[in-house]
Amino acid sequence: MRIIPQLDTYPKLVAFAETPAGKLAAVATFAVLLRLARMPFSGIRTPVLEMAAIIGILSFFPQHRRLLVSAATLFWLVFHAEASLKLDLVRWVASSQGFPTGATLTVAAAAALLAVFCALGLYLRVVGQRRHNLLGRRPVLLLVGSYVCLLVATRITPHGLPRVAVWMLLAIVCNYLWFFAYAVADYTSKAPDPYRYQIGTFLPFWVGGRVSPTPIGKGAAFLRRVEARTADDLAVTQLKAIKLLMWLVILNVAQTALYSFVYGELPDRVAGFWKTHHIPFPHLTVPTLDKALHQAATGQSVPVYLAWTILLSHFSLAVLRATIGGNTVVACCRMAGFRILRNTFKPLYSANIAEFWNRYYFYFKELLVDFFFFPVYIRYFKKYRRLRLAAATLAAATFGNMLYHFCRDIHYVFQLGLWQAIAGFRVYAVYSLALGVGIVISQLRGKKVEHASLPFYRRVLACVGVVGFFCLLEVFDYEGRTDTLRTHFAFFWNLFPLVR
Amino acid sequence: MIMDDKRKLRDFLADLLHHKGDLDAFTDSDLLMTSGRLQSIDTLELVVFLEEKYGIDFAERGFNQNDLDSVDSIMALIGAQ
Repeated sequence: MRIIPQLDTYPKLVAFAETPAGKLAAVATFAVLLRLARMPFSGIRTPVLEMAAIIGILSFFPQHRRLLVSAATLFWLVFHAEASLKLDLVRWVASSQGFPTGATLTVAAAAALLAVFCALGLYLRVVGQRRHNLLGRRPVLLLVGSYVCLLVATRITPHGLPRVAVWMLLAIVCNYLWFFAYAVADYTSKAPDPYRYQIGTFLPFWVGGRVSPTPIGKGAAFLRRVEARTADDLAVTQLKAIKLLMWLVILNVAQTALYSFVYGELPDRVAGFWKTHHIPFPHLTVPTLDKALHQAATGQSVPVYLAWTILLSHFSLAVLRATIGGNTVVACCRMAGFRILRNTFKPLYSANIAEFWNRYYFYFKELLVDFFFFPVYIRYFKKYRRLRLAAATLAAATFGNMLYHFCRDIHYVFQLGLWQAIAGFRVYAVYSLALGVGIVISQLRGKKVEHASLPFYRRVLACVGVVGFFCLLEVFDYEGRTDTLRTHFAFFWNLFPLVR
Repeated sequence: MIMDDKRKLRDFLADLLHHKGDLDAFTDSDLLMTSGRLQSIDTLELVVFLEEKYGIDFAERGFNQNDLDSVDSIMALIGAQ
């Protein structure tokens, strides 16, 4: 049974979506659904009207799509510079160095971004001319090398203006690092997109209010392969986007209901209504995982049933949040005319850990596969198949995963200092290592079995095993830098009272 | 010779797809990775297949997942070897 109708398979609807009236209707429907898919507790606020206006323009001028995407991305950058340029971090640095934090600083940060874009343009030109030299073949090495140089420069540059300038560059690079990596990878191919099109893929407008360094939609090379070429193709792609958003609205209602039921908190807009009309509101008031972790760390034991309820609730909400957040970006990208795959796709259908990792957060996994897994897989331990697979998996799921998060959360280096920021990473290191080992074992054991072909009881067992593993892992999925391992293990042992 | 290589390659890809329960037909230009019909884990099998059958050294020639996306692109890769 299907909850969402297969809109993209109705020939009359597809034909209508190709007409001007149909395009307007599609954009209006998109805007309404995008607003309804906005998660009440997440703090992410995609500006619906701006997004709809851009999509409208793209729908009517598909022949100029790539140029318009670049223009829209630059527009988004100018009017939503706060997150794109990491202005909060830049302001902290400027303030610590005795500089004003007003508009001049924003202009300076924008100028720094322009300088970074120009430098990248020159670098891509060199890569394009010498595709097979080290610059082109090891993009991550060079980009991460540049990042490390900037990191070192934050320590050795004199206080004052030079230090603010270096931090400004570092803030930009940590946001754009993986977008740049995809551009470099494209320039090693025979027919890369021109730079004016590549710019449209650097924190593209479709990320909306959700600035994340994970390139959802990968880079220009991937986008040109999935771009709608005909009016029919565009109509089908947009109807797929609408269909996806309909599903996300349902998930959003489920997520809001679950959140309210578990934590006893209602979204602001309905809380007043509920109180005024004295409608009963059954809920559990379960503590959040964060609270439970610190309760366990102070020596207070958490009953086993409560510990598992906390963990399962946290995990379920995390999966729903990731699904809604990531797939909203996918829907916006599809509306722009790129038929990209979903970011999260039926994770509970996974037959093993490796498959869940592939289905849960596709574009993050792809980033790790593209820039860490394959470079190791094609170079090392070629004669030892299992070792080869294990080394490449650990390079991606453990090392790459840690590097990604370290680069992303650069503000900890400013707040805590470099060494404390590295040392404070220990909890996430345990998480990454456990994840990597779990995926290695899953791959080495793995026979390619389609979940649907398994008998029912095996499907349920597979689901319980996979969810159990990722639930337990969630205890260590801590991206902050102040908790100790003891805090997390204290809660972890509460889940197994017989072992403790 | 080329036809024989192509047939072997198509058989290999069809086998990968069948293991995943995907029995749909595919043309030489179908994008199997981009469309999600094959995943990164399948690319590994393909890499090993190309290394062993055709002696392709990806570390030497550079690796681009897009080169392994369709029968046509893989055949171009084999032809360039």
